[in-house]
Amino acid sequence: MASSEECSVWKTPKVYKHHEQQSVCYTRPKYREGRRLRAVKVYTINLESRFLLVQGVPAIGVMTELIQLFALYGVIEEYRVLDEYPAEQFTEVYLIKFQKLTSARAAKRNTDEKSFYGGLLHVCYAPEYETVEDTRQKLQDRRRYVNRVCQNKVKQIDLTNEKSITPSCSNTLRAPIPQNEEEEYGYEHNGQNSNTSCYSGVPLLPLPPQEGHPPSKGALRDRIFPAEDKMGSLHQFTDTREQPTVCLKQDSFSHGNRPASGKTFNPTPSVRFMPRPAHLESRKRKMEDKEDTSLDVTDNIAPIIGPKLPEPPKIDMEDESLNITANLIRNKITKIATVPELKPAEKNTTTPKPRRRI
Amino acid sequence: MMAGRDGLSGSDRFAYLQGLVTEFQDADSEEAKEQILANLANFAYDPRNMEDLRTLQVTELFLDMLTEENQNLVEFGIGGLCNLSMDQESRNQIVQTDGVPLVMGCLSSPRDETVLSAITTLMNLTTATSHSQTTNGSVVLCMLRFSLSENPRLRNLASVFLQDYCTEEQVEKAREHMQGHIQSAVGIPLPDNKPFLDSSQP
Repeated sequence: MASSEECSVWKTPKVYKHHEQQSVCYTRPKYREGRRLRAVKVYTINLESRFLLVQGVPAIGVMTELIQLFALYGVIEEYRVLDEYPAEQFTEVYLIKFQKLTSARAAKRNTDEKSFYGGLLHVCYAPEYETVEDTRQKLQDRRRYVNRVCQNKVKQIDLTNEKSITPSCSNTLRAPIPQNEEEEYGYEHNGQNSNTSCYSGVPLLPLPPQEGHPPSKGALRDRIFPAEDKMGSLHQFTDTREQPTVCLKQDSFSHGNRPASGKTFNPTPSVRFMPRPAHLESRKRKMEDKEDTSLDVTDNIAPIIGPKLPEPPKIDMEDESLNITANLIRNKITKIATVPELKPAEKNTTTPKPRRRI
Repeated sequence: MMAGRDGLSGSDRFAYLQGLVTEFQDADSEEAKEQILANLANFAYDPRNMEDLRTLQVTELFLDMLTEENQNLVEFGIGGLCNLSMDQESRNQIVQTDGVPLVMGCLSSPRDETVLSAITTLMNLTTATSHSQTTNGSVVLCMLRFSLSENPRLRNLASVFLQDYCTEEQVEKAREHMQGHIQSAVGIPLPDNKPFLDSSQP
């Protein structure tokens, strides 16, 4: 009956039934068996949560490492050790709150039953730490998502019905749409029970820097945009397109290695880490490149002497419309730059300024 | 056999689900039934499958499970309905086949997971037309009791139900009832191995 005082989310460490690892099922016939043995269990939205309970963390002061590991799957809002939670000897229990349910899902999927500094992690959802508002939000998001997918499907079917009314066509159209959605929502559940065979093919691990947006879209943007913006010469873009992916990898790597200074890990685009002078330098070079290409496309192999620096050839503004605007401006600038006016030279005179000491 | 589900095209998927339904109907052992039912209920989590599951009348299959004596079957059945009812068409199907009283019956289950699924399902089933049914006096009273529960999940979910799906008058009325000790049986766990009996109206 006491409800109001103990509402604090970070209290009441209790062992609930769903925290316990259920024994896996050995009696499933082969064809219904997934790649991993699983318990017979039905997953609903009620069981899922942005809160994860991590058991079996060796008590050897590896909190930073643990949080770094989990931060790979998305922004962590809060975390703490559950001292009061009954733990096995020499292990600790952690509570981690992700910003998004999809991150928690990906994290759980990839870390549960994995070894970590000599211990075996047991990761489960901890919805009992949610507030009423968390619960409400979770349900609303789920409903919205399901409706979106279903409506998309209906639309798609309508479209194809207009095109051709063959009954067998349904299979060809159904596949492509939800696949996108799936990446966005980060499916796990269908496989959860026994049909795991089913989903493990999906490369679910999202790129951490893209937490703000659905990962698939982020990747797409990097792919598509560089190709679109400088329509002039495809020549250069083959390598501009490769560059962003390289940057992303580096970024996610450094992301994982960064010491956990704060509670949240804010994903920052790699461009920001570039030292200022290098940044100016690269911008200047880009302008020059542009001039070259606009003047003489075939000639652009000649001016490059020595190895190319692995700098991102273009600034990604992290937003589609910003990118479009940036491209418009860039194109304008290159147009203006074709009129002989030596902007780079001007910059050369301005940059040495800070070096004048005394 | 191990072909990934994502590799399954629409018709293969349908055939697979159809196979599961047939197998469920032919299964003799309770264990096999539980496994297949859990399987189907988990498939219902994916919106891509909802249409196929509706076509295969899995909605009714789930509803049938709610009156089983085996509590596992009840839990998986209502779990499946909880997943399925997120979709509007499935929701309509459940309401039209008089599923609401059956779902309400699950509120009296001794199992938390069953009760939680039932609450979420009732939320999903609530529309302008079904409102009077899904939030009748005994349900509101039951939610009021749940909102004082020690289990935070139950408490939260019941609070959402009261705040978002009931009018203030309804809640107020239920409060008065509670103080006046006029109780209803909905939401009071039934003893094991007894099928659900319809509760009396307050």
